[in-house]
Amino acid sequence: MGIGPSTKETSLHHFRDPLVEIVGSDAGIDLMGVLVFGTADDNVDKIRNSTMAAKIAECMRADGVIVSSDGWGNSDVDYVNCIQELGDRGIPMSGLNFSGSMAQFVTESEYIGKNIIDIAKNPEGVESNIVGENNMSPEDVKKALIQLKIKMREKEMKSE
Amino acid sequence: MKEIDLRRLVIKAFHMNDVKMGDACDVKMNGEFTVGKEIIPSLLEKYDTIQDIDINLIAPGDHDRFTNTIMDIVPISTKVLGKCGDGITHTITGVYVMLTGVDVDGEQAHEFGSSEGNLKEMLRLNKAGTPGDDDYIISFDILFKKGQGQERKGCIQGHAAADDFMQVYRNKLKKFDGSKCTERHEYHDTIRPGQKRVLIIRQVAGQGAMYDTWLFPDEPSGVEGGKSIIDMGNVPIMLTPNEYRDGAIRSMQ
Repeated sequence: MGIGPSTKETSLHHFRDPLVEIVGSDAGIDLMGVLVFGTADDNVDKIRNSTMAAKIAECMRADGVIVSSDGWGNSDVDYVNCIQELGDRGIPMSGLNFSGSMAQFVTESEYIGKNIIDIAKNPEGVESNIVGENNMSPEDVKKALIQLKIKMREKEMKSE
Repeated sequence: MKEIDLRRLVIKAFHMNDVKMGDACDVKMNGEFTVGKEIIPSLLEKYDTIQDIDINLIAPGDHDRFTNTIMDIVPISTKVLGKCGDGITHTITGVYVMLTGVDVDGEQAHEFGSSEGNLKEMLRLNKAGTPGDDDYIISFDILFKKGQGQERKGCIQGHAAADDFMQVYRNKLKKFDGSKCTERHEYHDTIRPGQKRVLIIRQVAGQGAMYDTWLFPDEPSGVEGGKSIIDMGNVPIMLTPNEYRDGAIRSMQ
């Protein structure tokens, strides 16, 4: 298993993914698609690919974005950059990420704030190596969706 | 404004309740599932990084046992009609395949973290990505040749061997009468004019041998025909929600 067995998403997880399920079935959301990018090894690739993901969201004229990650540590470089790029482009966003007590973001962004839902489930907040333990749950997804709706509404009110 | 329906995916599930070890791999529409080991010699011949394979059945609750590190948990699904994200897919519930691996020196097939130990403690049940309390687990345990559990080739071959094993069931599952399914789920790619246009961005594994993600395999959640996101430069790839729901992603980790 890759970075942390407890956060890894198995093939079964992707097949029964709560994120696509819940966002896709919300009648107030027009789910456009799922954009998948890999956590690269090289720093240049990390920045380019995560920036490209935000750029695609802009080109699609997305009203909002939910960003998820199944890793932590150096995965944060790509993840936080994606969030920063979305924020700089004025695109409302929320996210799902494992932080717990041991995996606070290794890089910073002013847009993290309350927007990123911590999916940690381990009682001590650590990478327990227990498969599935720190995976996102339907409740996490609902929180992220509510946060996104708040952000999208705030942007609307600003422009009214 | 009215919802616009782009395409429909129907996933028909067949629940297995009579699961046992036997002489040959078999699955029947009435819920009989037999786990056989007859395919192992041909897999050992085909994959040169693998020293040995063991296939075992773990009954619900019988988790007080040692497991090597869990490389993946995979549903047995097959495309019956149409392309990925469209048409009909059959899937099995009640039984899931758990791929584990270690090499001949006892080196676990993992990268940054390893989940070997007592299965009861190392697997959290009832999550989206893990079996439930009442599910059977087929343990597909690979013994890699020296060092191969850490190499990309070995790791891919391990997944491919499990995929070959699962294809035996898929080929039978394909022919099941859809009207006899135990669950039927219908999913639509839709446009909802006037509603908030939302994009999901998912950052997935893409850093190496045990940290890879494959896309668009021939069969849902399969290996054969899939493409590594590493080989595609880890650049963003767009999936429709239905493609995602139809097993377009294989976790190679």
